[in-house]
Amino acid sequence: MTTATRTRRTITSIGSRTLETVAAVAELGSVAAQTLAGAVFGYWRGKRPAGGIARQMYFVGNRSLLFVLVTLGFVGMVMVYQTCLLTTKVVDGRNQVGAQWIRLLVLDVGPSLTAMMLATRVGAGIAAEIGSMKVTEQLDALRMSGVTPVRYLIVPRFLACVFMTVVLSMFGIAASWAAGGLTGYYSFQINPRIFFDVSMVEPAHVVVGLIKAATFGAAIPIVSGFCGLRARGSSEGVGAATTSAVIGSSFAVIVLDLVISFVAMTAFGAG
Amino acid sequence: MSPSTPAAAPAGAIRGSIAAIGTATLGAARDAGGIVVLAAEVLRSLFPHFDSVEDRGSSTDPAQSPVRSVRSRSLRLRWPSIDGRELVRNLYKMGWRSLPIVTMTALFVGGLMVIQFASFVQQYGARGLVGWGTGYAVLREVGPLMIGLMFSGRVGANNAAELGTMTVTEQIDGLQALAIDPIRYLIVPRVLAMMITLAVMTMVGDAVAILGVMLSSQLILDIHPLTVWYSLVQNIGVGDFLHGMGKSLVFGAAIALSSCYFGLTVKGGAIGVGKAVNAAVVSAAVSICFLDFLMTYLTA
Amino acid sequence: MDAGSSSMIVMRGVHKAFGGRPVLAGLDLVVARGEVLYVIGTSGVGKSVTIKHLVGLLRVDAGEIWLAGRRIDALPERDYQVIRRKVAMVFQSATLFDAMTLAENVALPLRKHRGLGAAAALADARRRLDEVHLADLADRFPAEVSDGVRKRAAIARALTLEPEVVLFDEPTTGLDPQSARRVDRLIRELADRRGVTAMVVSHDLASIFSTADRIALLYQGRVHACGTPGEIRGSVDPVVLQFIHGRASGPMETPGF
Repeated sequence: MTTATRTRRTITSIGSRTLETVAAVAELGSVAAQTLAGAVFGYWRGKRPAGGIARQMYFVGNRSLLFVLVTLGFVGMVMVYQTCLLTTKVVDGRNQVGAQWIRLLVLDVGPSLTAMMLATRVGAGIAAEIGSMKVTEQLDALRMSGVTPVRYLIVPRFLACVFMTVVLSMFGIAASWAAGGLTGYYSFQINPRIFFDVSMVEPAHVVVGLIKAATFGAAIPIVSGFCGLRARGSSEGVGAATTSAVIGSSFAVIVLDLVISFVAMTAFGAG
Repeated sequence: MSPSTPAAAPAGAIRGSIAAIGTATLGAARDAGGIVVLAAEVLRSLFPHFDSVEDRGSSTDPAQSPVRSVRSRSLRLRWPSIDGRELVRNLYKMGWRSLPIVTMTALFVGGLMVIQFASFVQQYGARGLVGWGTGYAVLREVGPLMIGLMFSGRVGANNAAELGTMTVTEQIDGLQALAIDPIRYLIVPRVLAMMITLAVMTMVGDAVAILGVMLSSQLILDIHPLTVWYSLVQNIGVGDFLHGMGKSLVFGAAIALSSCYFGLTVKGGAIGVGKAVNAAVVSAAVSICFLDFLMTYLTA
Repeated sequence: MDAGSSSMIVMRGVHKAFGGRPVLAGLDLVVARGEVLYVIGTSGVGKSVTIKHLVGLLRVDAGEIWLAGRRIDALPERDYQVIRRKVAMVFQSATLFDAMTLAENVALPLRKHRGLGAAAALADARRRLDEVHLADLADRFPAEVSDGVRKRAAIARALTLEPEVVLFDEPTTGLDPQSARRVDRLIRELADRRGVTAMVVSHDLASIFSTADRIALLYQGRVHACGTPGEIRGSVDPVVLQFIHGRASGPMETPGF
């Protein structure tokens, strides 16, 4: 009897958890659809906060610039250092390091690492802001005044984030390449003329990199906004929403990176 | 800004942005200092120390005083005591919480590395180098870095939120009012738990990432997993593994200290907790990238 | 200089400002041993601030604080750990730890300060919860019980270290009248049976007049009036009258209105 009850309880809990997950995925999809629809059609038909996009661009772009430059710069130094250590042991492949590094930066590391950094900074910020509005009933007040929270809060952040992720990826790539070149020159005596060599970068690589940056930039505000809208309770609810926004958008970046890389590789061998 | 002095506007804007940069720098310096002080306090709690309670007494007879222990003079050696229950609770919670995200991340990262390595293989026919190249990158660099970042997003952010909530609901004051030192009771177990958990997670993540490499080499490049494995074990040494593990211990400490610091210094309710989580993950990301460089440079 | 051995708490000329805004401006207050003193006043007048100074959660800008004949306002943080074992505080929001059951909450100071093992501490905690009639709820988490239960559990936790002084920050705010009277009775019993000195911050007029030995009314950063419930009731001072009759108009301006 007890075993039967326990089994029944386990099945119930699995069932309810599955239902919750399905509901959450559906909600995420609906937020994504509303955001895209709002961005493509609705946004230009009025009902937008004055200076909304500009303010968000400032928050996403300008306020993250230093953060992206510093982190990507350090990563560039480390990567070049480690690669040089490896190549000195085998063949003298040092002269290839710079050309390969910029190729990898444009194709993958630049957009994905920039987006990971933005997921922590911007994603957490969006979730904290929207989550705080949710628990203080400001979202209900918005609804009462006839404004959809997704359109009013997420769409401007979405547009700003897509644009700024692309821009910041370029800055990040530049910083990482430059910092790598300095490391190569000072620690391994690689001539900068040889290091800063773009011959390995093909137009297709640039296109793939841009697509990646724009996609990651789209994913971050959607996932984080969704987490913020689901915040419940008070301070612990906002904390939980912020946490899941960071982890959710970082993970979305990794998954999308793999998907786009794979598609690009099979489509035109430029993974 | 008056229309009669158009030149004043850019000057004012420049002055304003310089002031903003100054304020931001001061804020960052204050936070960095706070994290260092917290680190020192945690370190101090890990060493034996003297607890001194002294009172020169006043005119009343000490024997009559009901608050006797305040008046007595005592000096005793206290050994560092770590609250075992808090440590175990945190280890369990953090490990359990980060395991799914770490394994998934590692698996995907393994796949990504093979895709990026594929062009090499096609260009130079370097099929035998896949295990070596990816293994070197995973163990020394990509493993600790990616798993550290994800761990910061999951456990570090969660820790900042939890401590932040405890701060705004006065639970930290409550601890102090019970004469329990929050550093010793709350912070030390968390720092240790995060260092241990991140090191273990990096080991798990490294293994899963290499598994992911072997799996996707077979699927994408049609290279047999054993070829990858032999290429890895023949060229990668214990030193490469330890290099990565050292990094993960340092990253764990950095994530723990920054999340605890921002959690304990929360101001202003729910909004403050969200901001603290944000600040904790951002400063953890900067510290990870910086310490990664430092460790690579020092231990190469 | 001795502050009088019959006085448990003496505050003299205490000043405290937050961000340039003075909250306490020369507060003088004496609490006798074994006395239940209620501190009353409008919101934001500095009642909670006053009692937080006694356990070192806040530090004075100027002035002296004496506890049992010993000056404590300039002590280093480490020495306050000793004082906090003798001066317990029950916070307005109960501040039970969310991650622990009620029994574990009460057991925590026992484990930390009495050196009890986990099992012994839990057993003692259950006994103490039984004293405040919460034995059935010992294994619940704070989020699962009512405000009144949380408050009583917090009082049980504060009493684990056998304190000589207990500070209460609005113990009955937000409770239904029945729970509130239960908390009042608990405070009165502490003073009568164990000789504990209690300082209680409150708005609740029913508690104040039924429980207090003396009442101190804070106004503009000082003690405006102080006396037994009878004296306060009989006062003709306009500020006192406005407070105890709850009038909207009078000499007292409520901040923010």
